[in-house]
Amino acid sequence: MRYFLRKLGFFLGTLWAVVTLNFMIPRLQPGDPAELMVRRLQGKDSQLDTAQVEAMRSMLGAPDGSLWTQYWAYLADLLRGDFGVSYTYYPFSVAEVIGQAIWWTVGLVVVTQIISFVVGIVLGAYAAWRRNSKLDTTITLGSTFLGTLQPFWIALVLLYVFGYTLGWFPTSGGYSASTPGLNMFFIEEVLSHSTLPAVALLIVTPIGWILGMRNTMIMNLGEDYIRLAKAKGLPDRTVALRYAARNALLPSVTGFALALGSVLGGTILVETVFDYPGLGRLMGEAVSNKDYPLLQTLMLLTTTGVLIANLIADLLYGVLDPRARRAEG
Amino acid sequence: MSTTPNDFMAEGEPDQGQAVEQVGSSTTPDSWWQVVWSSKKARVGLVILGLYVLMAVFAPLIAPHDPLDGSFTPLLPPSGEHWLGTNTNGRDIASQLIFGSRISLLVGLFGGALATAIALVVGLVSGYTEGTIVDDVLSFVTNVALVIPALPLIITLVAYSDTRGVWLIVGIIALTSWAGAARGKRAQIITLRNRDFVTSAKFSGEGSARIIFSEIMPNMSSLVVAGFVGAATGAVGAEAGLAVLGLGDTRSVSWGTMLYQADAQGAIQQGLLTWIFAPGLALAILITAMSFINFGVDLLSNPHLRED
Amino acid sequence: MARPNEGTPLLEVRNLEVRYEPKASRSLTAVQDVNFTIAPGEFVGLIGESGSGKTTLATALLRLLEKPGRISNGTIMFDGTDITHLDQDELRAIRWRDLSTVFQSSMNSLNPVVRIEPQFRDAIEQHSDLRGEDVSARVRELFDMVFIDHRFITAFPHELSGGMKQRVNLALALALDPKLVLLDEPTTGLDVVVQHSILQNVRKLQEEKGFAVLFISHDIGTVLDLSDRILVMYSGRIVEDQTAAELLREPLHPYTKGLLGSYGDPRAETVRITYIPGRPPDLSLVSEGCSFAPRCPEKIDRCLTEYPELLPIESGEVACHVAALHRLVGADGIELPERNRRFVGPEFVKTADESAHARERDIVLTVDNVTKVFEKRRGLKVDRTVAVADTSFVLRKGAVTALVGQSGSGKSTLARMITGIDSPTEGRIVFHGPDGDQEVASFRGRALRSYRSHVQMVFQDPYSALNPTKRLGQILERPLVNYHGLKGDARRKRVEELLETVALTPADRFINRYAYELSGGQRQRVVIARALAVLPEVIVADEPISSLDVSIRAEILELLNDLVQDHDVGILYITHDLLSARMLADEVIVLNEGRVVEQGPVLQVIRDPQDPYTRTLLDAVPNPF
Repeated sequence: MRYFLRKLGFFLGTLWAVVTLNFMIPRLQPGDPAELMVRRLQGKDSQLDTAQVEAMRSMLGAPDGSLWTQYWAYLADLLRGDFGVSYTYYPFSVAEVIGQAIWWTVGLVVVTQIISFVVGIVLGAYAAWRRNSKLDTTITLGSTFLGTLQPFWIALVLLYVFGYTLGWFPTSGGYSASTPGLNMFFIEEVLSHSTLPAVALLIVTPIGWILGMRNTMIMNLGEDYIRLAKAKGLPDRTVALRYAARNALLPSVTGFALALGSVLGGTILVETVFDYPGLGRLMGEAVSNKDYPLLQTLMLLTTTGVLIANLIADLLYGVLDPRARRAEG
Repeated sequence: MSTTPNDFMAEGEPDQGQAVEQVGSSTTPDSWWQVVWSSKKARVGLVILGLYVLMAVFAPLIAPHDPLDGSFTPLLPPSGEHWLGTNTNGRDIASQLIFGSRISLLVGLFGGALATAIALVVGLVSGYTEGTIVDDVLSFVTNVALVIPALPLIITLVAYSDTRGVWLIVGIIALTSWAGAARGKRAQIITLRNRDFVTSAKFSGEGSARIIFSEIMPNMSSLVVAGFVGAATGAVGAEAGLAVLGLGDTRSVSWGTMLYQADAQGAIQQGLLTWIFAPGLALAILITAMSFINFGVDLLSNPHLRED
Repeated sequence: MARPNEGTPLLEVRNLEVRYEPKASRSLTAVQDVNFTIAPGEFVGLIGESGSGKTTLATALLRLLEKPGRISNGTIMFDGTDITHLDQDELRAIRWRDLSTVFQSSMNSLNPVVRIEPQFRDAIEQHSDLRGEDVSARVRELFDMVFIDHRFITAFPHELSGGMKQRVNLALALALDPKLVLLDEPTTGLDVVVQHSILQNVRKLQEEKGFAVLFISHDIGTVLDLSDRILVMYSGRIVEDQTAAELLREPLHPYTKGLLGSYGDPRAETVRITYIPGRPPDLSLVSEGCSFAPRCPEKIDRCLTEYPELLPIESGEVACHVAALHRLVGADGIELPERNRRFVGPEFVKTADESAHARERDIVLTVDNVTKVFEKRRGLKVDRTVAVADTSFVLRKGAVTALVGQSGSGKSTLARMITGIDSPTEGRIVFHGPDGDQEVASFRGRALRSYRSHVQMVFQDPYSALNPTKRLGQILERPLVNYHGLKGDARRKRVEELLETVALTPADRFINRYAYELSGGQRQRVVIARALAVLPEVIVADEPISSLDVSIRAEILELLNDLVQDHDVGILYITHDLLSARMLADEVIVLNEGRVVEQGPVLQVIRDPQDPYTRTLLDAVPNPF
C-alpha cells in the first residue's frame, strides 16, 4: 500500500513541478514578460494585431500583480480549464483548438505504441532466447540501423516514395473530401491518411523494445533460477516464457511509460511532415507563429499525459513484481 | 590480453616450511577501452566516427564551396562542380552537407559532455549522501527530469529565446537529458560506497572529497563512458529534430536545417532527392556509428553480453 | 575402476575433460581427465578449493555448460545411459526425475516474482502424473521433510530467510524422488549452526530415501562428517578417491594432507594447524608434471616432469608419484621423503600457556554496558531491533580478544561502535589513549580521524577492501600521508617496510602491483599492512579469514599472531569459528542475539562451555580428527 501511495505522491509532486515550470518559463526573462513579448512580436512582424496582444496578456496575467498573485491566478485558470486564447486561431481558445486535434494524436500514438510494444517484446525475447543465431543477428543489426534513422526523415522518405512517386497514399492532412463523422467514407479516409504517419512511427518505435528486451532477457538468462528451471527439465517454451521472458518484461513495463516521452518527440516531427492534424502539427504551428499560449498548453498537456502513463505503469509494476512493494514499502 | 609481465612470476623452488610468494598471472580485468575495442561493431563505429571528425575538422579544405554562398544557379543537378547539385536558394548541397557535420559533432560532443557532467555531479552527490535530505531532494529532481518528456520542453524553451546559437541548443539539450544517467550513477555509487575499500579509505584518514573523486570515481569510468556515448547520440538527434522544426541555429548550416529548408521549400514535390536524402543519410550513418560504439560500451556494464 | 563389490554404478564418469574457449582470452582446461563412479544410494563428497574446477564439473554433469565452455572429451554414463551428447529433449526425460540439484548460490535459484508452490508444481507436473490437489499434497509433504511451515508454500522467495530458501531448494530437489542429487556448496554463506542442521537433514533424508548424493564443498570438515566416500580435486583433476574413514586414517595425497592439516582440535593443549604455501596454478598455462608440485613439501624430481596417473592404492585411488612409489612399486633407488600422514609444510602452533600472561596487560579500550537499538520507521510504526544488549568487555595491549557469534549476533555492530562508525544507544566505549580517557561516541570530524590513527580495521573480504584502480604502494601510503605526514623517500621506505612485515617480499616487486594481481591471501596481507601503517593500538579484524581458502587460513592467523607479539597491538578478532578463536585469542566473548552468553579465557570456555549456545557453536566446528 505504501508503495502505491509513494508513487501517487511522486506523481502529484511531479505534476506540480511541471505546472510551475510552465509558469516560470515565460517569466524567466527580465522585465515585464507581456510587454517584452509584445515588443518582440511587433519587431519581428509588424502586422501584429490587438487580438494577439490581448491573447498574450491574458496568458501572462496582469503585469502589475506580484508573482504570487499571478501564480495563483494561473493555477485557478488551469483548474477551470482556461488556457487562454490561441492567436493563430484567434478567437478560438486554446482549449478548443487542442480539443479538435487531440484525438488524432491519441489515436495515432496509442495504436502505434501498442503494436510497437508487442512486436518489440516478442522479437526481443526471441532474439535473446536464440542468441547468436542468424535471426538474432538480423534482428539486432536491423534494429540498430533502423533505430538510428530519424523518424522525420523516414517520414520524408515514405512521403516521397508512397505519397508522391507511387501515389498510394494521400500526402497530407487527416482527411480530405469527407465530412467528419461516423460514416464509412470518413473512416476510410482517416485510415488512408494515417497509414503513412503510423508506418513512419512503427519503423522506429519498436526498436527500443527489441533491444531493451533482448538485453534484460540475456541478463536474466544468466540467473540461477533459469539454470535451475533448465535443470528441472522443463520444456524450453516454459523456461523461455514463464521464467525468462516474464521476468524480463517487468522492467519494460516502467520503460513503456518513459519511452512515451521520446515517442512524443518523434510524433511531433512526423505529424509536421505529413501535415497530420494532431498535436504535433499544432506544436509546429505554435512554434513558427510564436503562439505562446498554445505552445505552453501543448507542453503542459503532453507532459501530463506522459506523467499519467508513468503513474499507471508504476502502479502496474507494483502489482506485477512483489519485490517492488517490499523494497520501497 | 594479460598485462602481467612474465618475468614477474616468482622463480626458484619453494623451500619446505616457508611461504612462497609469487604474483600470479591471473588475467587482468581488461581496461574499458580494451573491452570496447574487442567488439567488432564498436571498431566499425569508431572508424566511421573518426572519418566524420576528419570531415568536420577539414571541412573548409574538403568542401568545394562556401555553404552559405547563394550565388549559384538554383536547382542544378549533380555534376563535377556541384557533387550533389544546388538547392532552391542556389547553394551547393555537398558543401552544406560537409559543413553540416560540424554542428552535429559539436552538439554531440558538448551536449553529451555537459549532460554527462551534470549527471555525474548529481549522481555522485546524491549517491554519496544516500538517505539524507540532500539525496531525497536530488533524487526527486532527477526523477522529475526523467519523466518529463524532453522534446516538448526543449521546443518550448528554445521557442522563447531570441538568439538560437549552437550553445543555447547545447545547453538546453544537456539540461533536459541528464536524468537517466544520473540515476544510473547514483545506483552505482551506492554499491561502490558500501564496498569495504571506501570504509578503509576513511580509516586511512581520507576526506569526503578525496573519497568521492579519488577512490570512487575511477571505478566508474565505464559507466561514465557509456553515459557520454548515449548522451552524445541523443544530443545529435535532438539537434536535428529542433532544426527540422525550424528551431535550429539560423546562422549556420546543419543537417537538420537542410532538412527543414528542403521540407519547407517542397523539395519532395519537386523531386530534389539529394537535398532530402543526403542529410538524412549522413545523420543516420553518424548515429549508427555511435550506436555501434555503444554496443562495445554496453559490454562494460553488462558482462553477460560479452563473449559473442 | 569400479570396485567389484559395487555392482553397476549409477553415475560413471570417464576421462571427462571440459574446456573453456573464449574468443577474447586464452582458453583453459577447467576439468581434465576426470574418472569416478557413484553407486546407487552412495553419499560422495567432492572437495576442492576455489578454482579447482568442482563447479564446472558439476555443471558438466548436469549438462548445463554454456558457451564458451564445452565437454571436450570423455563420457558421462548416468543410470546406464550415455548422457554426454544427448540433446536437450532427450535429457528432459532424465532431468529432475532422476537427477536433481541444489545450486551453490541457491539464494537466487527460485524465480523471485513467482510464488513457491508453482515452482514446485511445474517440475512435478512435468515429470509425473500428479495434478491439482495431489501436487499440493506432495508439496506439503516435501515441506514437512525439511521442517518448513506450510504457510510459506504460497510465499514469494524474498519472504524467506536464507536458510529457509536453502531448505526449500532441497525439498524441490527431492520432489520426484530422484536417484542422484547434486549438491554444489549448498550451504555456503549460511550461518554455521544453520549449515549444520541443514546438512544433518540432508544426510538423514538420504539414508531414508536411498538416493545417491554428490556433495561438492570446499570444506573438508563438513564433507568428512557426511560422506561415505570422498573425491579430492585440485586444478581440474581428481587427485584422491577414498572412503571417508580411510581418508581420515591415512590421507595419501599431500594436498589432502594439507587440507586435513588446516583443522585441529580446539580443546587440545597444543594445537597445530598447517597451511599450504603458494597458490593454485593458472589453468590457462600448460604445465608439465604434477600441478601440485610447486606447493608440495614431498615432491621428487619426477613430479616436475611427469603428471602422476590416478592409480589404485590400498583402498582408494591417488594421483601422486611419491605415494605410488611408497606403496606400490617401492623406492627403486629413488630417494623418497618419509611416509607421513601429516602435511609436512609450514604450520602455526598454539600452546596453552602462551595466553596466560596476556590478561595482565594494560587495558586500551573499555566497552561498558553497551546497548545498541536500531529504529526503523515504517510509516507510523517504529520497529525496534536490539542489536547489542548490555555488553561489557575490555581490550588489552598486545592481547587478542575474540568476539564469537553467528551473523546477526551483534558482533559487527560492536565493531562499528568501537571504530566510531556508529554510536551506542546506551553505555560507553572508552578509549584509553595517549590523550587520556576519551569516549568514542564523542568523536566527530577531526577527532574521529585522529582516533582512527589508533584504531584500525581489517575487513572480511580482501577483494572488496582494496580499491581495484590503485597500486599497492598508493594504497599503503595514504595513511602515512594523512596521519604521519611522511613524504618522499621516508614514505617509500615505510611502505616497503610494511610490505616486508606482512611477508610480501621483496617489497619492490609488489609496490607497483594492483590488487587483482594478488591471490586472496596476499590481498589480505595488504589489508593488514594498511591497518598496521599508522602503528595503531587496536586492530579490529572482522572475519579476516572466512573468505579465504581453508588451506591458507593458518597463514593469515599466524601473521596476525606475529603482529600481536612484535608490535604490541591489541586485536579484536571477530569470527564465527571457535577453532580460529582458539588459535589466535587470549580471551573469548560468545555473543548470541546481541547478548554475551559466555566470556572468559579462551581455553577455559572451549574446554568447559557453560552455555548451550557455545556448545552448539563448538559442535559446528568441523572436526575431522
